[in-house]
Amino acid sequence: MISERWKNRILARVFTAFPSLAAQWGKRLEMHGGGIPWAVPAKPLQEAVIALVTTGGVQLTSQTPFDMTDPNGDPTFREVPVYTPRERLAITHDYYDHRDAEKDLNLVFPVERLKEMVGAKALGTLHRTAFSFMGHIDGPHLKTLREKSAPEVAKKLAEAKVDYALLVPA
Amino acid sequence: MGLIAREIEREGIPTVSLSIVREVTEKVPPPRALFLHFPFGHALGEPGAVNQQLTVLYLAFRLLFEADRPGTIRDSQLRWKSETYAPTDWEAFRRLGPAE
Repeated sequence: MISERWKNRILARVFTAFPSLAAQWGKRLEMHGGGIPWAVPAKPLQEAVIALVTTGGVQLTSQTPFDMTDPNGDPTFREVPVYTPRERLAITHDYYDHRDAEKDLNLVFPVERLKEMVGAKALGTLHRTAFSFMGHIDGPHLKTLREKSAPEVAKKLAEAKVDYALLVPA
Repeated sequence: MGLIAREIEREGIPTVSLSIVREVTEKVPPPRALFLHFPFGHALGEPGAVNQQLTVLYLAFRLLFEADRPGTIRDSQLRWKSETYAPTDWEAFRRLGPAE
């Protein structure tokens, strides 16, 4: 019998191949309107410290994998040093087809491109730690994400005096 | 993604998010989002397509400085695969910053 994890992986491939299905799924999601915070950019990009945040399930091979057994996802995050060699990075995420991202991690974790920007003096600095979530979070874990994990990452970025954050989905 | 961006912005850090399913982004709008007609798992484009990936980043950072209201979702106008991407214009990148 097909396992739940394999079923999710097959569905992920179908959703990747047919984006209209993803759009239909999106229309059914709960609306989170309300006040959207706003901070005014004050520094030129070439002087700024940028932090990378991904929801692509990227993590160190030495870290505890994101929980793929909970159908509501895993609301925790992983801190990933941006100078980690590729062979020590992995993707744990059954809800999108990451075969291409495995070939080129920049598709969901563009550290090489951001480092090239630093080298070309287009960007000041890349913050040494990236923050990684898995993007398939639902049910009670949304509250954990909103009230615990996301504010914790935000505080870490503020303490590190990061100027801007780039968020990349899967 | 939108929930995370909002918490970071709440700490006073301006954010820019990429979006690949506009319908999802519209349900939880982050402060600024660049929408890409790309499949799941390909927010920056195709594997090894450096010019394409840097184009996405250029458009994202331009939006960071040009958006003027919270919840902005800008369509990148980029097409999946069929676009020809020019080499990176680094001078244009270096000019990105707050409006004077």
